[in-house]
Amino acid sequence: MRHWHRSCTVLIALVVILLCSPGLPTWAEDGVTDKEVTVGAGLDLTGAVANWGVNIKAGMEAVFNRVNEAGGVHGRKIKLIAYDHVYQPPKAVANAKRLVERDKVFIMMGHLGTPTTKAIKDYLEEKHIPNVFPATLASLWTNSGKWHIADLATFADQTRLIVDYLVNERKFTKIASFYQDDEYGLDGHVAGRVRLRELGKEYAAEVDYKRADIDFSSQAAKLKESGAEAVILQAVYREPPRLAEQCHAIGYSPVFIGVSAIVLDKTIELGGKHVEGMIGVEVYPDPNDPGPFLDQYRADMKKYFPNLALDTTNLYGYQKAALFVEALQRSGRNLTHDTLLQAISTIKDWDPGWGLKYSYGGDNRRGMSRSARMVVVKDGKWSKMTDWFELEEMRRQ
Amino acid sequence: MIETLASQVVSGLATGCIYALVALGFVLIFKATDVVNFAQGEFIMASGFMSYTLLIWCRLPYWLVLLITIPLSGFMGMVLERIVVRPIMDAPIFSIVIATIGASTIMRSAAGIVYGYDVLPLPTIFSKDPMRLGIFRFTMMDIGVIVSSLLIMLVLYLFFQLTKTGTAMRATAQSQVAARLMGVSVRHIFSMTWAISAGISGIAGVLIAPIIYLDPNLGVIGVKAFAGAVLGGFGNIPGAIVGGMLLGILENLSGYFFNAGIKQVSTYILLILVLIIKPSGLFGAATMRKV
Repeated sequence: MRHWHRSCTVLIALVVILLCSPGLPTWAEDGVTDKEVTVGAGLDLTGAVANWGVNIKAGMEAVFNRVNEAGGVHGRKIKLIAYDHVYQPPKAVANAKRLVERDKVFIMMGHLGTPTTKAIKDYLEEKHIPNVFPATLASLWTNSGKWHIADLATFADQTRLIVDYLVNERKFTKIASFYQDDEYGLDGHVAGRVRLRELGKEYAAEVDYKRADIDFSSQAAKLKESGAEAVILQAVYREPPRLAEQCHAIGYSPVFIGVSAIVLDKTIELGGKHVEGMIGVEVYPDPNDPGPFLDQYRADMKKYFPNLALDTTNLYGYQKAALFVEALQRSGRNLTHDTLLQAISTIKDWDPGWGLKYSYGGDNRRGMSRSARMVVVKDGKWSKMTDWFELEEMRRQ
Repeated sequence: MIETLASQVVSGLATGCIYALVALGFVLIFKATDVVNFAQGEFIMASGFMSYTLLIWCRLPYWLVLLITIPLSGFMGMVLERIVVRPIMDAPIFSIVIATIGASTIMRSAAGIVYGYDVLPLPTIFSKDPMRLGIFRFTMMDIGVIVSSLLIMLVLYLFFQLTKTGTAMRATAQSQVAARLMGVSVRHIFSMTWAISAGISGIAGVLIAPIIYLDPNLGVIGVKAFAGAVLGGFGNIPGAIVGGMLLGILENLSGYFFNAGIKQVSTYILLILVLIIKPSGLFGAATMRKV
C-alpha cells in the first residue's frame, strides 16, 4: 500500500514537472518547434527547367537567411529542405512523401512545375499539408480548396491578356497556339481558346510538344502552313528560342508571344537574334526596377549568392519567401496550419515595397493576381512594352 | 505542302546523320568486343562540354577546338575501355553493360558538378540563316551536319578498307582467335576501336550541341541512336548508318503528319514493327547454326 502510494506521488510529480517545463511544445503540428519552422520544396534542380528551380531556391534562401540572421520570426528560424524532381511527376511524388513523412515539413512551399505539383496535389490534401505559393501559375491552384494558395496572375489570366492584345491592338485574325502537352501548357492554351471564341474566333493552329522535347521542325512546319500571324507560347525557356530558330529557317516569322515562364534572360541567351521582338508577360516587376523591396532583394542576393546573376527567376522565389514571412509574422507565436492560412487571408492590399499589392480573403486565393504587363525583347534585353494591367479573373473551363 | 515535306526531310536527315554517327559508334564497339556501350551517348555530351570549355573559357578558335576535341574524345574512349571494361572483360556480358551504364551516370554527374545543369548555347561555324534551293528550304547548319557526317563515314570506310590497322580491326571483329594467331594485338585493337567510336561520337557532339543546346542530359540522344543501330541490324555498319538516318527522317515526318506524342514514340513503333517482320534488322543477316 505504501509502495503504491509512493509510486503515485512520483508519477504526479513527473507530470507536474513536464507540464511546467518551458521546453514543452504546446502545439501538435509537424515541422514546427520552439526554435524552428521547416518548409519543404520540390524543385527541378537538374532537369529541363533547372534554371527556374535553382534560382527559385536561391531567392527563397536569400530571404530566409536574412530573416534567420535577425533571429527568425517570433523566435523561430526558417529551415528550407528542397529535393530535386527533375521536372518529372513520379519523382515529385517520391520527394513529397519524403518531405512530409520523413522530414516532417510544416508546409510545401514554392513547389515547382504544374505537372509535378499536380502529381502531389491529392497527397498533400490527404495529409493536410498546405501547398503554399507553388511555383506554378496554373489556375488549378486558385480553385482547389483550402490547402492550395497561389500568389500571382495565372497562365490563364495572362493568355486572356495576350489574346485581347493580339485581336484588339494588333488586329490579327490568325492566331496559333504552341503549348506543352500537359497541365502546364493546357491551362493557358484552353483559356486562350475560350477567350478567342468569346471574340468570335478560333485558333488557326494548335500545335503541341512533349515536355523536354528538343526539336520542333515539324511544329514549325505546321505553324507556317496555318499562316498564323502570331503564335502564343505556352512554353518555358528552351522551347521558344528553338522554335523561333526553326520557324525562321523555313522562312516563317510570326509574332511570338508567351506567358511569364518564357520571360527570363536564358531565353535571350539561347535564342540570340531569333528571339528579337518576342513578347512576354510579366506578373511582377523586373529585378532592376527601383523601390525599397527590390533594393533589399538586390542586397540579399549580393550577400548570400554573389555568383548568381540578378534574374526574374530568383526574384520569383524571393517574393514568395517574403510573402510567407509576412504570413508568419501575422500568424503570431501560435503557429499551426489553421493560423497560417488564417493569417494569409488577412493580407489585403499589402505592398512589400515595389508598388504592386497582394490581397487575399474570401475566395481570392491568388494574392497579387491582378497585375501583369507586357515586355518585349529589344536589343537583346527584355524591355517594358506596356504599363501594369489589372487582369480579370479567368477560371479554367 | 511539297515544300514543307522537303524541308522536313532535310532537317530530319540532318538529325538522322547525328543518330547514324552515334549508332556507328555503338556498332563498332559491339562488332570488335561484343560489348554494348551504354555510355556512348555521354561521349556526345562530354565532347560538347570539351568544345564549350575550349571555345568559351579558353577562347580558342573554332578550327583548333575541333582539332583538340576529337582526339580528346578518342582518348576518353580509350580510358573508359582500359579502366571500366577491360578489367571485367571475362565477366558475364550483363555485368559489362551495367558497368557502362554506371560510367554514363558518373560522366553525367561529373558534367553537372563542373558545369551545372543549366542549358548552355554553343556557337558553331555553320550559319543557321535560312537558305533555299528549289523546293528545299534549309540552313547551312543542316548541310554542314549532313556533309560532315557523310565525310566522316567515307573516311572511316577508307580507313577500314585500305589501312593495315583498319584491316586488323575488321579481322578482330570477325574472329579474335584468328586475328591473334595472325599476330594482331587484340588488346591494342580494342583500345583503338573504343578510341575511334568515342571520337565519332565526339564529332557528333560538336555538330549537335549548337543545335539543341548543351546540358549534362544531352546523352539521351544515345537512346535514339541505339534504336537506329538496332533498326539497321545491330552489328551491321551500313545498317547502323541507314537506320539512324531513317529514324531522323521518320521522326520529323510523324511529327508533321500526326502530333508530338506520336513523334516521340514513332522511333519505337518502327523498331518493333521491323523487328517483328525481320528480327535481325533491316540489313542484319539471320545467324544460322549448323545442327
